[in-house]
Amino acid sequence: MPSDTKYSSQLDPALVKAAQRGDMLAFEELVARHRDKIYARCYTMLRNEDAALDLSQEAWVKAWQRLAQFQGDSSFATWATRITINVCLDQLRKNKRQRAESIEELDEESGGVERQMPVVTVNPTERLERGELRQKIDEALGKLTDEHRSVLVLKEFQEMEYKEIAKTVGCSIGTVMSRLFYARRKMAALLAELKNAE
Amino acid sequence: MNEELHIKLQAFLDGELPEAEAREISSLIARDADAAALHRELKHTRAAIAGFENRITVPETREFYWSKIRRDIQQLETPEPEAPRHSLFSFWRRTLAMSGGFAALVIALLVGTTFGHRTPGTEIALAEGDAFTYRNYESGTTLVWLSYPAENGLAENQPAATLQ
Repeated sequence: MPSDTKYSSQLDPALVKAAQRGDMLAFEELVARHRDKIYARCYTMLRNEDAALDLSQEAWVKAWQRLAQFQGDSSFATWATRITINVCLDQLRKNKRQRAESIEELDEESGGVERQMPVVTVNPTERLERGELRQKIDEALGKLTDEHRSVLVLKEFQEMEYKEIAKTVGCSIGTVMSRLFYARRKMAALLAELKNAE
Repeated sequence: MNEELHIKLQAFLDGELPEAEAREISSLIARDADAAALHRELKHTRAAIAGFENRITVPETREFYWSKIRRDIQQLETPEPEAPRHSLFSFWRRTLAMSGGFAALVIALLVGTTFGHRTPGTEIALAEGDAFTYRNYESGTTLVWLSYPAENGLAENQPAATLQ
């Protein structure tokens, strides 16, 4: 089987070099090491297990095709995650084209209602077990629109700067800031709501 | 607080404000309860979300997950076979087959009109996929003419024949 000790004991840069020379087993080891992270990113952005599985595998195929372009400026995991984000954003754009935007989503885009929301004073992490909190965050993330969730994910999980997010998503920095503010406020309200509902 | 201040508060939290503006917002948070509350809310939300992705794992085994990736990569790297070229011979063969079918239809019509009336139990029809059918319900005969080479599954599976 591919999980050969020859590969499992090597560090990422050595595996990347071998994979760049066409060693598919070295690439398989890289996939095995980082597949959870890549899948998690797809799942967070798409909110669907099957789609996340397919897209994460598509991202790995793209990573293999572009391996020659990887210069080692960032870690391999960061580089592969960036490819994954682009694959997910492309899919979200396709989904958006396929369905007509609802009136609710258009209203959310403006974020007018949420800006007027009262400030949530409760800390959502207080008195909640880690597992419970994860479940509530999962639920709350699922209630955001794709546009708001994408910006939130890029900021909170990918730790991108506003201008990087704007470039990746293809919108202005102002839109990024506005979407991010809305997404955070909505998350705060949803988490408080879910916590109170217990 | 207006919208601009909201956004600046957030940018302060994210460390994206120039130093001078960051100082302004910092003092605003210190003296304004609303600004402080909003800043706290944004901070709590950020802390709550942090680490969320850490426990999400692929719901498949390593081998199964990799097998699809490997298959897709191998498929990409295998050159696609060239599409078969349509030769002059196959063009003529097809044309002749179609003409033959048409001739059969004309003969069937002539036979029907010249040698007596067309009985109510006789039917000639042009079906899909270059096929003609002649049916005589009285004698229980069905003649199907299919052009060849076949373009569809029906013709491939069922060559021209007389079915009783």
